[in-house]
Amino acid sequence: MHRFLRLSVLLMGLFVASSYAADAPSARMTEDSLGPEVAQPIEFPHFRHAGDVNKEHPEKGGMQIDCMYCHTFARRSAVAGIPPLQKCIGCHQSIESVKETPRIKQLFEYWEGSKEKNIAAKTPIPWKKVHDLPDFVRFNHERHIQRFVFQQNRPVQEACGYCHGDVKTMTVARRSKTLSMGFCAGCHEKDHLVSAEGGKDAGNQAYWYGFTKPVVKTSGALTAKGPNDCWQCHK
Amino acid sequence: MMGSSFDRRDFLKVLGWGGAAVALSGCGNTSVEDGKETVVSYSEPTDYMIPSIGVYYNSTCAQCDAGCNINGRVREGRVLKLEGNPDSAINRGKLCGLGQAGVQHHYNPDRIREPLLRSGDKGEAITWEKAYALIAEKLQGVDGEEIAFVTGGMSGHSKVLLENYLLSFGCKNHFVYEAVAPAVVRAANEKSYGVTMPRLSINKAKLVLSFGADFLGSWISPVHFSQQYGQFRKGVDGQRGILVQVESKMTLTGANADRWLVVRPGTEGVLALGLINALGTASGDAAAAAQGYDKERVSKDTGVSVEQIDKLVELLKSHTPSLVLAGSAAEGYVHGSQNAAAINLLNHVLGNVGKTIEPAASVPFPQMSPAVGGTAALTKLGEGLSAGKFKVLFNYAANPVFTAPASMKLKDELTKVGFKIAFAHYLDETALQADLVLPLDSALEDWGTSVPEYMAGDAQISVQQPLMEKLYANTRGFGDILLVLLKQRQSDNYKDYADYYAYLRGAMLQNKNALGGEGADDDTFWNHSLSSGILKAAGSSAALSGSASAAGLTLPAPAAADAQYPLHFIPGVSASHRDGRHANQPWLQESPDPLTTIVWDSWVEIHPKKAAELGIVEGDIVEVTSKSGSIKAQAYLFPGIHPDAVSVPLGQGHEAMGRYAKGIGANPFAILDAVFDKETGELAMHETRVKISKTGQRVVVVKDEGPAGGSQAGKKIAARLDANHVDLSKEA
Repeated sequence: MHRFLRLSVLLMGLFVASSYAADAPSARMTEDSLGPEVAQPIEFPHFRHAGDVNKEHPEKGGMQIDCMYCHTFARRSAVAGIPPLQKCIGCHQSIESVKETPRIKQLFEYWEGSKEKNIAAKTPIPWKKVHDLPDFVRFNHERHIQRFVFQQNRPVQEACGYCHGDVKTMTVARRSKTLSMGFCAGCHEKDHLVSAEGGKDAGNQAYWYGFTKPVVKTSGALTAKGPNDCWQCHK
Repeated sequence: MMGSSFDRRDFLKVLGWGGAAVALSGCGNTSVEDGKETVVSYSEPTDYMIPSIGVYYNSTCAQCDAGCNINGRVREGRVLKLEGNPDSAINRGKLCGLGQAGVQHHYNPDRIREPLLRSGDKGEAITWEKAYALIAEKLQGVDGEEIAFVTGGMSGHSKVLLENYLLSFGCKNHFVYEAVAPAVVRAANEKSYGVTMPRLSINKAKLVLSFGADFLGSWISPVHFSQQYGQFRKGVDGQRGILVQVESKMTLTGANADRWLVVRPGTEGVLALGLINALGTASGDAAAAAQGYDKERVSKDTGVSVEQIDKLVELLKSHTPSLVLAGSAAEGYVHGSQNAAAINLLNHVLGNVGKTIEPAASVPFPQMSPAVGGTAALTKLGEGLSAGKFKVLFNYAANPVFTAPASMKLKDELTKVGFKIAFAHYLDETALQADLVLPLDSALEDWGTSVPEYMAGDAQISVQQPLMEKLYANTRGFGDILLVLLKQRQSDNYKDYADYYAYLRGAMLQNKNALGGEGADDDTFWNHSLSSGILKAAGSSAALSGSASAAGLTLPAPAAADAQYPLHFIPGVSASHRDGRHANQPWLQESPDPLTTIVWDSWVEIHPKKAAELGIVEGDIVEVTSKSGSIKAQAYLFPGIHPDAVSVPLGQGHEAMGRYAKGIGANPFAILDAVFDKETGELAMHETRVKISKTGQRVVVVKDEGPAGGSQAGKKIAARLDANHVDLSKEA
């Protein structure tokens, strides 16, 4: 009898715990549901830098700067890299038109230092992380950029956008994909073209994509899936 | 009833479900640190610094005195992994487990972070300015003879600075104290070969006969010798080398030997002379020394059968050149020097000197060459202390309170010193006795140079450089502290050097030509020095004295059995723990001892026969008692030990030092009798006699091997053969 009582207490506990897990907003995410709005030390306008040119109202449009002009490590490292402060200053010290705007003034406070705000000169801006993965997941930017931007010759903003969303329309970035395992696996299961016009030759690398021989479609196109082994990401 | 019926099993169930519930609720499919973690970029990046891509720097390992050259991987400004420097003649790109644990020395949570001044029982954090001022104040009017400076083995520029500092006081009390060092063998080598540390070529020998030299584990330069051993096993002229190990307690090297001969503790020299006698090729002094050591007598004294001696003689005759090594097991007796001399004599008789024993290169800067020592320094220090001679005592890279035999009462004697200054990484036993503790940079944060004592190849100076920024703002390099202290004394001589780095650079550039930088401009030479980590010096090597002198070589009869303390006590030196200076590195605690597979503890090795006699089984807590004290540890039945000996590994049993070291195991240094080698005055580490008794407690021994232990659960995975049955002729 007592055993039964104890068991029911245990089961109740488990039920409460699992329903709590189910109630957590995280579980209801769809592929495109947005992450939290993250306040940044400087409200960085991505749309101004990377957005499309607006011919009618140039002041509202962007400059179509390549993502990798600032996130320069994406093509050669596991992480894309937050641009060093020097890079921001490199351009902005000669853009007189915006030098007195609040955000740029704030930028120069980090570079030149500010006594009243107690910032030493050349202090890196304490950006908040917007796209983070759990520590047991290893994502490699280089692999993806090499494949989709250089071998497939796709536009940079499209390739980055698979995971980061339409950043060129945002002010500060906001996560717009779940970045869950299902999200990654969904793409890895698709047949992607191995080569493309104007793209870098993939050579034997195609075999490494999925550790299977690339498939020749009836159309003659050579396709390969993304790797499907656990250890590719869970190293 | 319900309360009392909630037993352990149910409790674990609840715990398990609770854990699962927590795991589930934490298992959302969002990213984990969105909007929480700060991601910091460089403000002004250097070209080669790419996040997530490693940069490699060369430096020098400071975990033991072998001084291997290392190569550290640094990523995002953090050192992650150490490997060997491929260009090093010492370790040729390899690194041992002890060296790997160097990062745990660096990131250790128990490192001291501020200078500490004693205030009652506690240390009060003070500024460096105050610490320096205090030292100057305490040294005011103190005579050179009233200062003692205790260090471990030292070399390179920090040694030069230290010598200069002591010279400024006219102080001659530099006690170089190494708790575990081949000090007797050095002295014996000096007599037999004319140099303290000749170059040994295991790889050129066809037979290595090692008297307790654990060259694969912890002896002198183990990484270097391990590589030589690999070549030796592949063989000279395709003939696979044969390793015969003679010792009373099996070491890692003994476990790798083709033939392991257990010898009565302390009779290694007798066996060596017996071999000389049986070889019959000696003449003059050597023959005279070996006279009377006929096989029957030697067999009776050493416990090695006549048959084995015959076989060994056959091997020695058919395999030339060979190499005979005198290790720490042979030197640890009152007649340790004689043992080592007899073993070295065997090398002369076999004609190995000049073939497998060659002169080592030495650097052309004698002031930088290593200051080595042993335990003899301890006696002198103890005498000075008990006479109340010292007003100020410095301690660096040594932990005498932990490693001195308890019977020397060093801890009490230290109270007679007016002011004690400890340079330390951790609050170890000695630092706890100090009045002022100065926190040091880790070996991966500090600048330095070192000259290895065992010079494996051409003469070289190894460069140590920081692999990353300092973790704590208020630690200092030993060289930097010395420089400030020197400026207190002779500001004119050192005013040009802002810090130790500047001094080091200046000193190296001054000798650029001798260091292979002839014709190069200063920056090129300096950058090359740092990037290669090794500077080859045009070294010279003294010739070995070829003659075998056996004058004065007499060995005592094997010690009579002691009724009260019937067992020999062998302090074991393990590859990971050595003298215990790295006990606070959890990797080393966690890595199992190669022979017993025990982790995180001490143990008493005891022969199964002896254990049966005393009614001891594995896991019994036994008390090991010597004349000088007693320790308690778990018993481990080990067939690789002489039945009349027990062994406890050194390095454990710390009362302080840090969270991973404190309270783990027992400290065998404490029960060593203060008995010394007659010639050199070194502590005779193997001379202590003990008795053991059961305490009645029993524990489960935490070890990696299966419950059946060495018996392989009767599966005969590797057939165990009597040493007599091993057919070495097939390998020869």
